[in-house]
Amino acid sequence: MTEQDAEKTPLSGKSEAGSTSGNDERPRGGPVMDRRTLMQGAGAAVAATTVLSRAMPVRAASDEPVKIGFIEDQSGNLSIYGIQKLHAAQLAVQEINDGLTLAGGPVGSGGMGTFGSYAAQPPVEKEIGAEEQFINDGGPQSQKGMVFAEDSDVLIKSGDTGILGRKVQLIAPDGQSTNTLWQQLTRRLIQEDKVDVLVAGFASAEREAIRPIVDQHKQLYFYTNQYEGGVADEFTFCTGAVCEQQVIPVMQYMVEKYGPRIFTIAANYNFGQLTAAWVRSFAPVLKAQVIAEEFPPLEVSEFSTVIAHVQQAKPDWVMTLLVGQNQSNYYPQAAAAGLKYPMASTVNMAQGYEHKRFKPPSLANMHNAVNYMQEIPTKRNQEFVKRFYKMFPNDPYLGQMAQNTYFSIHLYAKAARLAGTTDQQRVRKVLEAGWAIEAPEGSVFLEPGTHHCSHYIRLAKADADHNISFVREWPMIEAWWLQRLGVNLVRHPEHKQYVPDEDPFFKMFVASK
Amino acid sequence: MDALSEVVSVLYQFGTNAVFLLLSAIGLIVILGMMNIINLAHGEFMMMGAYIATIATEHGSPLPVAAFLSFLGVALFGMILERLVIRRFYGRELGALVVTWGISLILAQGALLLFGPYMPAIAIPSGSFSLGRYSFSYYWLILIAVSIILVGALWLIYNRTSFGLMARATMQNPAMARSLGVDVEKVYALTFGLGAGLAGLSGALLAPTTSIAPFMGQQFVAPAFITVVVGGGANVIAGAVGSSALLSFVQTPVGLLLGTFSGMVALLLTALIIIRILPAGISSLLQGRSRLAGAR
Amino acid sequence: MRQLFRLIGGSHDIGSSRWFWSALTALAAAFLFYPLFGSEFGATNVAYYLLNIPLGLGLALLWGYGGVLSFGQTAFFTIAGYVYGIVAGNMTENSAGTVVASCAGLAAAGVVSAAFGYFVFFGRVAAWIVPILTLVLTLLLSTFLGLTAGYQWRVGSVLLGGYNGMTGIPALQVGDFVFQGYSFYYVTLALVILCYLGLRMLVNSHPGQVVIAMREDELRTELLGYDVRLQQLGVFVLAALLSGISGLLYVQWGNYITPSSAGLIQATLPVIWVAVGGRDSLLAVCIATFLLNQLTYVLSSQGNQYALVIVGVILVAVMLFAPQGIVVAIARSRWWRRTVDPNASSHG
Repeated sequence: MTEQDAEKTPLSGKSEAGSTSGNDERPRGGPVMDRRTLMQGAGAAVAATTVLSRAMPVRAASDEPVKIGFIEDQSGNLSIYGIQKLHAAQLAVQEINDGLTLAGGPVGSGGMGTFGSYAAQPPVEKEIGAEEQFINDGGPQSQKGMVFAEDSDVLIKSGDTGILGRKVQLIAPDGQSTNTLWQQLTRRLIQEDKVDVLVAGFASAEREAIRPIVDQHKQLYFYTNQYEGGVADEFTFCTGAVCEQQVIPVMQYMVEKYGPRIFTIAANYNFGQLTAAWVRSFAPVLKAQVIAEEFPPLEVSEFSTVIAHVQQAKPDWVMTLLVGQNQSNYYPQAAAAGLKYPMASTVNMAQGYEHKRFKPPSLANMHNAVNYMQEIPTKRNQEFVKRFYKMFPNDPYLGQMAQNTYFSIHLYAKAARLAGTTDQQRVRKVLEAGWAIEAPEGSVFLEPGTHHCSHYIRLAKADADHNISFVREWPMIEAWWLQRLGVNLVRHPEHKQYVPDEDPFFKMFVASK
Repeated sequence: MDALSEVVSVLYQFGTNAVFLLLSAIGLIVILGMMNIINLAHGEFMMMGAYIATIATEHGSPLPVAAFLSFLGVALFGMILERLVIRRFYGRELGALVVTWGISLILAQGALLLFGPYMPAIAIPSGSFSLGRYSFSYYWLILIAVSIILVGALWLIYNRTSFGLMARATMQNPAMARSLGVDVEKVYALTFGLGAGLAGLSGALLAPTTSIAPFMGQQFVAPAFITVVVGGGANVIAGAVGSSALLSFVQTPVGLLLGTFSGMVALLLTALIIIRILPAGISSLLQGRSRLAGAR
Repeated sequence: MRQLFRLIGGSHDIGSSRWFWSALTALAAAFLFYPLFGSEFGATNVAYYLLNIPLGLGLALLWGYGGVLSFGQTAFFTIAGYVYGIVAGNMTENSAGTVVASCAGLAAAGVVSAAFGYFVFFGRVAAWIVPILTLVLTLLLSTFLGLTAGYQWRVGSVLLGGYNGMTGIPALQVGDFVFQGYSFYYVTLALVILCYLGLRMLVNSHPGQVVIAMREDELRTELLGYDVRLQQLGVFVLAALLSGISGLLYVQWGNYITPSSAGLIQATLPVIWVAVGGRDSLLAVCIATFLLNQLTYVLSSQGNQYALVIVGVILVAVMLFAPQGIVVAIARSRWWRRTVDPNASSHG
């Protein structure tokens, strides 16, 4: 099997002649004695406002590869999520080694405005007769409700082979959906393999199991999955979508379209509890109401009680925050029981591709506010999907966390290139300049103080045949919750995860509870 | 009308919970209940049945045919396994436990390697009906009917056929049975095959309600063991039926009132208490009352 | 002192010759000096294999020597871990906090096991019921802990966390010294050696003989005047305390625990270690626990997709060809006694 080979043999190329300057030893806390770094002091190069990555002069070549540590579940219950992330990582590494990168760069002056794309024509005044003046809002209407048109060619030459002339190697052990093994593997990658960056974690439990180890060893760490939000950790960058980017848009749409009475079914798991808390606290703002909640445990696969509850409560729509393969059985069972309520989620379809795995009409009328699904019709995404399936023709689906992994690895490469070194503390500081990158989903902005990303959010809707259409778009939603909590990791480093209880706004609008 | 639909809804849930327990347990009734083999690969037998049914329906066969194929396929596999491995562990329950755990690892991981992380699901057949503000899926009613038939058939086999007689004799006293001319080896093989086949069959039947993945068997293991043990060995068949009814009787109202989680906790607590108070299971109570029992 | 040595050298565990003891001492020395050659990462890894040994030893005592199979070892492991996490998390300002928490964790394991043991053994249930009851206990615990995901589930300042787990559990600390890396390795090694030698003395002593007698024939032991129920309860609680030690070491090693530590899969692991090593012998269980944990890790860390299959095959092979356990089979084989250790007693 190709995946097996790809795992066993690192994506290494020919070794280049030239001396190894320092080694990859990272004395904890001490200065890094690396020729490149000394010459490069230029973290100040961060101020550069180039849109495209400039070609970097090739440094003294080294045969020491840049190591990306990558832990995902390739077996066990979570393997349907883990394998697609691994493949996306392999695609990204391959592209980097082939001298390609995604368009994007650091944003010295901050904000999305650094990246221009063509806009509709400017407005024009028109006179009709002597009295009336019409303002024409310029050119043809924007396409499909988009405010501006996106660039399609975002995979461009990096002017580098690998990162700073060194090949990138993906070290990808299998976490086997076992938390203890995750901890051991994380320690191994950090202490033995001495990886330059760690990209790992699907479930929040996995991330929390390894974050203390990451913090202890000051390891640069990317968590590329959507999750419940709240991680404020100086060494961790969370590039997945968070609650405020998904819950609020989807609730707005559903309340507008279907009504204010909401029934929440959420996994009895931290992610489910927290997202349900968001739904509960935001509903009053929309003049909606959560009339009942159910929190089935993760092992439950038989949902007749839940279904009966829903039927008893008669909501306008159902918010399903179900996690894992056992719980996704709710959909066929509910459909078979004749449940016809519209459903909304922030997890299903884009992650576990339920619309492909279950027969129609189980997911009929399911809505999800996603940052990515492979069905997104923009040209840049279609190119990306094509590239992915060319490398992995047998994969069943390309989901959001695979795309997040893909652009995160490209982002790391760009940051390391700009830093001129793979020294982790250096790269981390460069990342904290604020970055924008043209991901397949659209433009993504990494916010310096919170280490989280803004995302291009689209509302996906599945019809009775499980065809996906995107009925609404929000070109940029920031991850503002940590900002509201006052998190600024550049000024005040922290290592914790915030919970809704610590945010007074959560109780502010809730009438009772 | 409203009250009627409420009652029907509660009864329906009671029925679905009970039939889930019973179908999970039915293969184990034979293997654990009668042969005393602690079969930790039980979940994987059900998984194999589900996989066979999925592949069969993908190729166009209707669900009943697919379920039958599952039965045959897993039964055959069970007989081979019995001959090669299991037969060395009669009387050594704990050795059987470890060896079947090893087999379950091989089967589950093997399924992942052969078929990938998931298979497309089977659609739940036959639609739904509604009553008042509730609607119910017909499929669970079909499953209830099918499981009653299966249990009845099992009881018939064991109490009204000569094979059943030989099987019971063998389980009670193999040496004596052998000396009376019973081919004990064959009885063991067929019995284990029957148990495995039943597990495969219920895996196929439950397949439309669940997602088809290599480790799907895990969700059935605990309910199956608890149901069989609470049922007890005095009369395995009646015991299992009784225990699925009793456990569901506790789980359903608690689940309705306090949520699914609390329902599960209530089920486990009930099992704990019953096993402790009635170590021979509730079938010892039933045995005392009725003479229909027959087994053991 | 001579009494001590006589107890340790007794015959209720494999190995009693001088050759054996020198080999074992050499092994202990190897572990002692390992950190000089190995990296800190290696030491942390080996510490993980070692910390599971008390868990296995508890089951070996309970099952191998006492004749009572229990799936509940991991339940007490988990209880000790969670209680430690709760107490230590609430006492972070206090430098003796973790020591108090360790005692609390052990106490919790002891109390719960005593209560549950009373529930089980004083009802004189049949032997095969106990595994089922303990399995149900373990599942009950993991289900209940899984319930605790909501934010109202906190004890003091510590969130129980449901399936997200309890994070940020403090490492063991005495005064200002924090036990991590190498120091943690030595603590674990010391505890494991103490547990092994202590248990070895126990099984060779008079109370140990009673326990073994109970395994051989309950009725006869009762008729000799011993209260079998009390014996079983005692062994059960002792085994639970040993699991508690493993649980404490585990959370101090990883600073993290989830309800899955009490799940179905985890519950069967000690049974497998003991079955593969040989339940009649404490040393065999030590060896098997260490090697099986190491094997699992080595296979998975290589990205080997066949890891679980290999473990499964090993289990099947061992049960088919060496049903009393590999280590025990080797130690009692004629080959061993003839070629390697002529002074070994043939009776283990």
